[in-house]
Amino acid sequence: MLEVKGAARTFYAGTSDERRALAGIDLTLNEGDFCVVIGSNGAGKSSLLNAVAGKLKLDHGSILIDGVDVTRLPVHRRARFISRVFQDPMLGTAPTMTVAENMLLADLRGKTPRLVPGLTAERQAVYRDRLAILNLGLEDRLDAPVGLLSGGQRQSLSLIMAVSNSPRLLLLDEHTAALDPKTAATVMDATIRTIAEFGLTVLMVTHNMSHALECGNRLIMMDSGHFQLQVATPEKDTLTVPDLIERFHVKSDRMLLQA
Amino acid sequence: MPDVLASFINLIPVTIAQSLIVAFVVLGVMIPFRLLGFPDLTSEGAYPLGGCVTGVLIASGYDPVFAMAVAACAGFLAGSTTAFIHLRFGINTLLAGILVMTMLYSINLRIMGRTNIALFTFDSLFKDINPENFNDPWFKIAVVGTLIAVILAALYYLLVTERGTTIRAVGASPDMAEAQGVSIWSATIFGVGSASLFTALGGGIMVQSQGFADVNMGFGILINGLAALIIGEAITGRKTVLRQLLAPIAGALAYYQLVSLCLSLGLAPADLKLATGLFVLIMLALPALRRGGNVPQLREKIRE
Repeated sequence: MLEVKGAARTFYAGTSDERRALAGIDLTLNEGDFCVVIGSNGAGKSSLLNAVAGKLKLDHGSILIDGVDVTRLPVHRRARFISRVFQDPMLGTAPTMTVAENMLLADLRGKTPRLVPGLTAERQAVYRDRLAILNLGLEDRLDAPVGLLSGGQRQSLSLIMAVSNSPRLLLLDEHTAALDPKTAATVMDATIRTIAEFGLTVLMVTHNMSHALECGNRLIMMDSGHFQLQVATPEKDTLTVPDLIERFHVKSDRMLLQA
Repeated sequence: MPDVLASFINLIPVTIAQSLIVAFVVLGVMIPFRLLGFPDLTSEGAYPLGGCVTGVLIASGYDPVFAMAVAACAGFLAGSTTAFIHLRFGINTLLAGILVMTMLYSINLRIMGRTNIALFTFDSLFKDINPENFNDPWFKIAVVGTLIAVILAALYYLLVTERGTTIRAVGASPDMAEAQGVSIWSATIFGVGSASLFTALGGGIMVQSQGFADVNMGFGILINGLAALIIGEAITGRKTVLRQLLAPIAGALAYYQLVSLCLSLGLAPADLKLATGLFVLIMLALPALRRGGNVPQLREKIRE
């Protein structure tokens, strides 16, 4: 489904600030895989996600989705395969547009927009149903500008937008990190439910080690642009947070704090 | 005092006709600024560009409608050049606009071959339709009013279609639009290009209405447009696409009546640009003064 081959990228090459964000990484995700990526700050997690999304150009290596080489495709042309929930709730939605218009944009992802009216009554009814799953009352606020919603509501909306249209690959970029613990738990819960429901293939970056252990069938730990550890179920199920910390010398305070 | 009032009232129809023509320019200021998040200065050059192209073609005997169509295409080219400079080289939108506007001054002079052309003796859109009474302000109001109504209706339809929604998304949140598969390049080039197309069309209509084209006719038009837009948005609001689209026309109508009133009350025409500039400054500064130091979105947008 997703194949990353020898992906390499170095920032500030040839200067004293030179930093290898990706040091020739190979990763293959199969249909239905839910792969969690952890690692300390600067380990290359976000670079990996950005490279897959098309936001970060590679120095070497290639990226294939369903056998199609997308290495040279810009972000908007990969949207046919990929959807993404950003860390910042402000990035994933258009604040001055309404809830319904945002849903429409997600609905049009990967299609060629036509010159016909966008928000038809049928579509609004579909969006109302999709939003009702969240239990946040968003289904009654279709005409409200998204900027008026709380961070948790916006992030939940981003999630519903990302999973509508059944993307081939879902990218989650620390998507609960900017939320308070209670909201984060709600959004994470909705994430796990929708992923299971639609059987999506997922690549998720997180700083939260308990999320990393609870979710998904695969776990990757990154350090300095390398994969330091790769485990899959059933071995993954036996891991505990102290295991991760002790066995793999995690030295990130932030990860300890969130564990 | 009654004299002042009488001269103001007498001028109302002429002023309405003028404001409807400038409404094209205000539309051209609004589209990049409000719908695309692309503060743009190209209008200052695209407006005289439209005027010069229309003037030269009409003076060479071409049909006024054909002349305006060419002017509109030239405007689109000017606007898309500004968008391209910003997208390709990452140059700030305002600077890109200043570059294009400055270069357009030379281009406009080249197109005309002199600084102005008198068009009184030639054909015009207005003479074509009504040879008897082409200078009647109410007649001009009907012609230009119909034209802008048709354009606004078409724009409204476009903006609520699937494609129009994706274009608006680029202005509302570029990252999100890109992630949803919208090409920022094509939306920006098309949007900013169309805005300058309307501005140039306004210039093309203006030269036929006033009977001459002048290479300096764009001087200060951007600030007039911005002032009109701000007034218009105060009248219509910005909550829906329809309101945002009606703001330029409402603003142009109100702004030019206000200017006309000030002039009848004895404001020296020479002071007009200072007065307009101060007005725009105050309107932009007001939210910051009220909130005591918080930088409001509008001012931030202009400063970018």
